[in-house]
Amino acid sequence: MTDLKLPELGENIAQGTVTKILVKTGDAIKKGQNILELETDKAVLEVPSSADGIVSEILIKSGAVVKVGQPIFKLEGVVASPKGEATLEKSTNSIEIASSQKSAPRNDTGISSASTSVGIQDLTLPALGENIAKGTVTKILVKVGDSLKKGQNILEIETDKAVLEVPSTTEGLVKEILIKTGAVVLVGQAIFKIEGGVSAAAITAPVEKVTTPSAKTVSSVEIASSQQNASRKDTPITTSIPVRKDIPAAPSVRLLARELGIDIGQVPGSGPNGRISSEDVKAYCKALNTSRPAGGGVVAASHPLPNFSKWGSVRREPMNNVRKKTAEHLSYAWNTIPHVTQFDKVDITELEKLRKSISGTSKKISVTPFIIKVIAAAMKKFPQFNSSVDIATQEIIYKDYVNIGVAVDTDRGLIVPVLKNVDQMTILQISDELTAMAERARLRKTTIEEMQGGCFTISNLGGIGGTFFTPIVNWPEVAILGVSRGSLEPIYTDGHFNPRLMLPLSLSYDHRIVDGADGARFLRWVCEAIQQPFLLDLNK
Amino acid sequence: MSTPIQLVVIGAGPGGYAAAFLASDLGMEVAIVEKETNPGGVCLYRGCIPSKALLHAAKIISEAKHAEAFGIDYPAPKIDINKLRDWKKSVVSKLTGGLGQLARARKIKYFQGEASFINSNTLKIKKADGSTEELSFKHAILATGSRPAVIPNLPKSANIWDSTAALDLGDIPENLLVVGGGYIGMELGTAYHEFGSKVSVVEMTPGLLAGADRDLSDVLFKRAKGMFAKIMLETKVLKMEESPKGITVTFADKEGKEFKEEYNKVLVSIGRKPNSENLGLENTKVKVTPRGFVEVNDQRQTTDPNIYAIGDIAGDPMLAHKASHEGRVAIESIEGKRVAFEPQAIPAVVFTDPEIAWCGLTELEAAKAGREVTISKFPWAASGRALTLDRTDGLTKLIIDSKTQRVLGVGIVGVGAGDMIAEGVMAIEMGAVAADLKLSIHAHPTLSETIMESAESFFGHSTHIFKPKKA
Repeated sequence: MTDLKLPELGENIAQGTVTKILVKTGDAIKKGQNILELETDKAVLEVPSSADGIVSEILIKSGAVVKVGQPIFKLEGVVASPKGEATLEKSTNSIEIASSQKSAPRNDTGISSASTSVGIQDLTLPALGENIAKGTVTKILVKVGDSLKKGQNILEIETDKAVLEVPSTTEGLVKEILIKTGAVVLVGQAIFKIEGGVSAAAITAPVEKVTTPSAKTVSSVEIASSQQNASRKDTPITTSIPVRKDIPAAPSVRLLARELGIDIGQVPGSGPNGRISSEDVKAYCKALNTSRPAGGGVVAASHPLPNFSKWGSVRREPMNNVRKKTAEHLSYAWNTIPHVTQFDKVDITELEKLRKSISGTSKKISVTPFIIKVIAAAMKKFPQFNSSVDIATQEIIYKDYVNIGVAVDTDRGLIVPVLKNVDQMTILQISDELTAMAERARLRKTTIEEMQGGCFTISNLGGIGGTFFTPIVNWPEVAILGVSRGSLEPIYTDGHFNPRLMLPLSLSYDHRIVDGADGARFLRWVCEAIQQPFLLDLNK
Repeated sequence: MSTPIQLVVIGAGPGGYAAAFLASDLGMEVAIVEKETNPGGVCLYRGCIPSKALLHAAKIISEAKHAEAFGIDYPAPKIDINKLRDWKKSVVSKLTGGLGQLARARKIKYFQGEASFINSNTLKIKKADGSTEELSFKHAILATGSRPAVIPNLPKSANIWDSTAALDLGDIPENLLVVGGGYIGMELGTAYHEFGSKVSVVEMTPGLLAGADRDLSDVLFKRAKGMFAKIMLETKVLKMEESPKGITVTFADKEGKEFKEEYNKVLVSIGRKPNSENLGLENTKVKVTPRGFVEVNDQRQTTDPNIYAIGDIAGDPMLAHKASHEGRVAIESIEGKRVAFEPQAIPAVVFTDPEIAWCGLTELEAAKAGREVTISKFPWAASGRALTLDRTDGLTKLIIDSKTQRVLGVGIVGVGAGDMIAEGVMAIEMGAVAADLKLSIHAHPTLSETIMESAESFFGHSTHIFKPKKA
């Protein structure tokens, strides 16, 4: 009897809540067959089995939180994964879940390409977290000849942000160690050679296999970050960390603190008379990272809540994952970004005529694809709206791709799927993709990947009503456009009041990088473009 | 113009060549501009190394003389000055030649000549053969070092030496006046004394070796009084004139009373000045202080982001080992590493006889800063090893934070103090407390035990010293 463990689910996903168990005890399951439905931070994933066998025991239940690598079923008659099939197993369990939902036919190509990688393979450094492109190896926790388990810690890596333990993304025998302590390793770089392993590149390779526009996004992000690294080499980092005298810490410890971006003067020493060890620095760093909530330091718990039941009956409900994530993300954005919101109204009388003329009975085109198209053009015209701020390095990251997120209201809360490379899509294609995306979001089928890589967000509340509102910028983006409901207004033109359909627009932007005048210019440009819809080429 | 070179180092002293070599080892394309044929700088050509060669010779003479005290009598030595000079030169050329080979092995572009900045990205190199070349660079490191300071309005005379001339060992004068009681004057004065000169020292301040704690310099002073013809403290040099035998010097003592003496040679060793002139720094954004030092930040980057400065030109203390360390910091900073020049202790060593060495906080500095410290001393008279050397003129002291018991400074005077100070540097850098030094076993019989016993003394119970209990 063998344990079937929860496989890797994707980048930054360590756990999920079981929403549905799709098999029962006694079922014969096949590799690749969906066995669980799992809710993670933003997406509901179907988890396929990584082995054949008969379910003899189910170790989890619906509603339970399950961690990656945790045993979920006991299986009998497990077909031990021979080398050849190992990769197939792997390719079906992580990111491919997402794409298999999107398009079933891709499976064939996925299998054939995956099954070619047999025997000794490279284990690459998995993604360590957002904005972490590399790290310095501080410890290698395995040696040649060790047999690795997935999830087992194999390396200790120091990044700019923290000292991290890196878990293996695969199983197999360590044949060769390609790095050494002190070396700087890039995410995706080969670190070990593994024999008899499950396809090593659990996280990186499958992403590359997906050849939809999203793959382009991923690679361009990588380019952006590598360019950033290159430029950093030329301009030395003048750290603002002061030189401290009389600090009871060895030179190596002081250097470590500097590398981690920590002021050694703040680190409490555990040694005799306050001597600071490297462990103290690491512990301090860890504590900083955990105590610094993603919500930018505003801790809700700072003020106690009143006893609401004094005024009547109340009930408490746990936040679902989407709500938690939304709360965390938006308070971080709100606390990090100095917001300014610019309002304007755009005359969409002409646009409405055009929109209605091309909307058939079977196909309805909303105003959103037009706005998306105009925004994409505006972002090229005003590149600071397609940027991110790296305050740590005092750099601005400009993106050469245009991905626009669209906020979708679902029964579980707000979901923002991202339309990739919209500048290369026609309005009709955008419309189709938007419809499909919104549908997937409502069916909880949106994948993590589909929600990443956005450059700008549009939130259209026009279907509900209202005039203006102040949307919160979707960090690390720098601007968001709020669209409200259009209404007929008397507009004075040519000596008369004419009824015109006016659409209120609200543009919030990051004032650190966008000046007020630029905000006004951007929104004016957008309005003027929308007002003259005939300049928009439907097929471009 | 061709693509800019990644790094050019101007001046190949111990700071410059350390920086250039590290940069090359890290994969950078590196050029050096240096006046001499080989790297080495003042340290190797006209400083640390030749002076130590001469001091070694002097020490042998001194020890042979001293051996009489325990029954070993040598006849007076015959000094072949040409052979001695040649030997000193061979030491220098061996070392500098070796550095030249190391530079070539690393494929470092070596320009023999002088550099000046045209702008923040371009150097003009006046080569030794008279031709000029422009070199564009991404980063430059200024490591041009320093030169002996001069007294204004002195007559031009071959009988007035600076340290360079003294190291050339042209002759051994019968009478030598050393102007300035700093480490250079004391070291060279010691050497010439052993070679047979009658040496006098004149110093403006009330003590020798400014910066060193008085109890340490006193030990040297006592011995120097026996060696030197005259030590004139708080005395000014008013005038120097050429005279039949050499130079006549007019002094004024602290009461202002003037007097004259005649010497064959006068060695002026009143300090050193940074070489920040004639570098075209005005064509860059580099800022120079009124004293001639280049302003740098913790990464040794100047106010011009492309240009770094290390060593003597970047500020006191003007020590070779500080320069090398700064060179490595600068290179790692250029590489994008987060580093800073943040030593807790820079050792200073005076190679007199006895040697004086100190690091970290001195007692003087502690008093000035009003820091609560405990001074813990161990006189070498209680050291078995010092007795076997018949050199009990020594003292080891620790400057300890009274509250945290951390070792903040170490000072040593005595034979071999220069080598012993390394333990002090290590202790301070590692944040050691007095107990760490006390509890580390030191080999017997060595002079290093004096450090352990100083630490014991902090706790009031040094083995070889009896302290009556306070009532």
